[in-house]
Amino acid sequence: MLVFDENAELKPNLATAWTYNSDNTVLNLKLRSGVKFTDGTPFDGAAVKANLEHLKAGKGQNAYMADSISSVDVVSPTEVNLNLTAPDPGLVFYLGVVGGAMASPAAETSPEIATTPVGSGPYKLDKSATTLGSQYTYTRNLDYWNKDAFPYDKIVVKPISDATARLNALKSGQVDSGLIEAKSVKEAEASRLNIINPPIDWRGLFIADREGKTVPALGDVRVRRAINLAIDGGALLKSLQLGQGEVTDQIFNKKSQAYVSDLDNKYRFDVDAAKKLMQEAGYADGFEVLMPDLAGFPDVTPILEQQLSAINIKVKWQKVSADSTISALLSGKFPMFFFSLGSQSAWQDIQKVALPTSPWNPAKVNNAELNALVQAARVAKPGDEQNRAMQAVNTWLVDNAWFAPLYRSNIIIASSVKTNVTPQPWNAVPWIRNYRPAS
Amino acid sequence: MINFLARRLLSGVVLILVITTITYALIYSNAANAARNILGESATAADVAAKAKELGLDRPLHVQYLDWLSNAIHGDFGVSWFTNEPVSSLLANRLPVTLSIVIFAVLMTAFVSAVLGVTAAVRGGWVDRLLQVVSVIGFSLPNFWVALVLVVLLAVVVPIFPATGYVPATESLSGWFLALILPVTALVLGGIASAAQQIRGAVIDVLDMDYVRTLRARGLSSTSVLLKHVLRNAAPPALTILSLQFIALLGGAVVIERVFAIPGMGTLTINSSLQGDIPALMGVVVALVILVVIVNLVIDLANGWINPKARLQ
Repeated sequence: MLVFDENAELKPNLATAWTYNSDNTVLNLKLRSGVKFTDGTPFDGAAVKANLEHLKAGKGQNAYMADSISSVDVVSPTEVNLNLTAPDPGLVFYLGVVGGAMASPAAETSPEIATTPVGSGPYKLDKSATTLGSQYTYTRNLDYWNKDAFPYDKIVVKPISDATARLNALKSGQVDSGLIEAKSVKEAEASRLNIINPPIDWRGLFIADREGKTVPALGDVRVRRAINLAIDGGALLKSLQLGQGEVTDQIFNKKSQAYVSDLDNKYRFDVDAAKKLMQEAGYADGFEVLMPDLAGFPDVTPILEQQLSAINIKVKWQKVSADSTISALLSGKFPMFFFSLGSQSAWQDIQKVALPTSPWNPAKVNNAELNALVQAARVAKPGDEQNRAMQAVNTWLVDNAWFAPLYRSNIIIASSVKTNVTPQPWNAVPWIRNYRPAS
Repeated sequence: MINFLARRLLSGVVLILVITTITYALIYSNAANAARNILGESATAADVAAKAKELGLDRPLHVQYLDWLSNAIHGDFGVSWFTNEPVSSLLANRLPVTLSIVIFAVLMTAFVSAVLGVTAAVRGGWVDRLLQVVSVIGFSLPNFWVALVLVVLLAVVVPIFPATGYVPATESLSGWFLALILPVTALVLGGIASAAQQIRGAVIDVLDMDYVRTLRARGLSSTSVLLKHVLRNAAPPALTILSLQFIALLGGAVVIERVFAIPGMGTLTINSSLQGDIPALMGVVVALVILVVIVNLVIDLANGWINPKARLQ
């Protein structure tokens, strides 16, 4: 429906204009006319309504994007109103990502839709040149309204899960672009591949038991701040990511409304200051904390153990397998854990971590002061007022050390000399529109 | 022979039942995470519970298993929880890929190891010693390492073969061959080394037997004795080794498919295990067990055909 450009600015797409009513509870969308899905069904208000209702009712991974929509009124074939249960500062962002993806309502109930998409976009899946799991070929949709934005007539997507195989495919010229690991950057550059490396995820500790229900010490903000001071994010970034990233003490990304540049250096590595805080809090002798030993981060475990032991925090590790990682972390069982989490739009991040019901608030901490700030951000007028309110939430989270973020980790995109790639804010992999021939 | 076949088939069915039961029980212990993994990190606990109910994970284990088994008997292995593809079509897409690799690898192992093993046994001397050394080296090189060296040399530095991917034979026979040659070579090196040693040993044992001496004394040519009598008697242990090789190659293919980004059973196994995609994982287990049972059966039949004594056992 909408689209974000490379500067994270929201632009028109299938929706040509969007405006909120005075209390941000109705979003009016003007729709592009004359657009058809690849099966010939017209794109109109009824199609928007059908898609949003389907997203909400489907209870899939992205159903939360339509959570705040109570109903959709089709004003005309080129205009709809989304009625909201409460203001939702994340809604327009969701319409710029999966939440705004439109499929033909005529094909929605067909069992074929899972493997044969019927959309309104610039490309169509060519089933005859597609092998599921190995290669997906897309050819140009000749009826697409914005053909000039997409220079390629054909796109082939090859899922390659192994990083070494991906690098080999890039080096041998089998693919034009793909993600590689930090340790492969030099090798890729030596093979004349271009590298771009935007920071995407933040990595660090979730101090989940902020009320000290399981580990009373973690309920004391001085202890949480001490943890922030005791871990050398810069050294971890250098050793684990070979410097591919930037040190930070906040969980919001640089393009986020909530980003406050001063917060990136709020807690500089200082073991003495950390020890002093531990002493003031009455925990000079430290305490024991249970943390998950995650399959995805085997190299982090010994470093964290060593750095936390400098302020007498003894870590007891429990192994967690790859397929149970998310369930284990969200279960509330671990008072503290290390993880890597993406940061997108400010409101999306707040919903993810800061509400009493947020999945990434595993101990379901309910803080009146924070709730008030979040509520203010929710109802603030889009623009400066909303930005300030979002930043206030961020500042509170950092001051109260709900997390101990260490660094933003770069995603590394390699591409051949034939291909120019522009990184897409808030997305690990650039969108199709971000790839262009070099010449 | 029919009795023999029936007994083997029955034991195969029992084996499949036992293995699927054990596997189901083992992977069920992680099924509680499946609903969360499907819905992702943003889903609420209530949504996760509803999804688990929708998938039937709230029912007792034996009820779920019996339900799965009765559907599986009718050829319905369910739908992948992550791709929504029917498991039977997932298997139909992946199995031919892995079978291509493994059958190609077995044929290559059989041919090369037979030539090397027989040559070493018959010639002896420095040829034999050279084979021993080459075998030890071949056996000790890990196949994923060989794969990486082959890719660097023959796909990146000198781009003769593709570095990754698979081309169905129906699409392009030469493409299929080129895509498979590096994975298969990496996969068979260790197998050839050990099979050649076994064949060498078996041939030497038979060559030492009295009847061979008698045949030679009666004036039969060395070639005739070797081809008609020695190889026939040395074949059963070699065939058994090849059947074991087939099973080992299936395991090796899991690693090799990853190195070469080949969408076969190995990739499917790794992905479905990591995600906790139980229907897909169960489909993989059933397909692989059936495959192993069939291979053993074929080898038993081949042994019986070559050596009538084996039929009596």
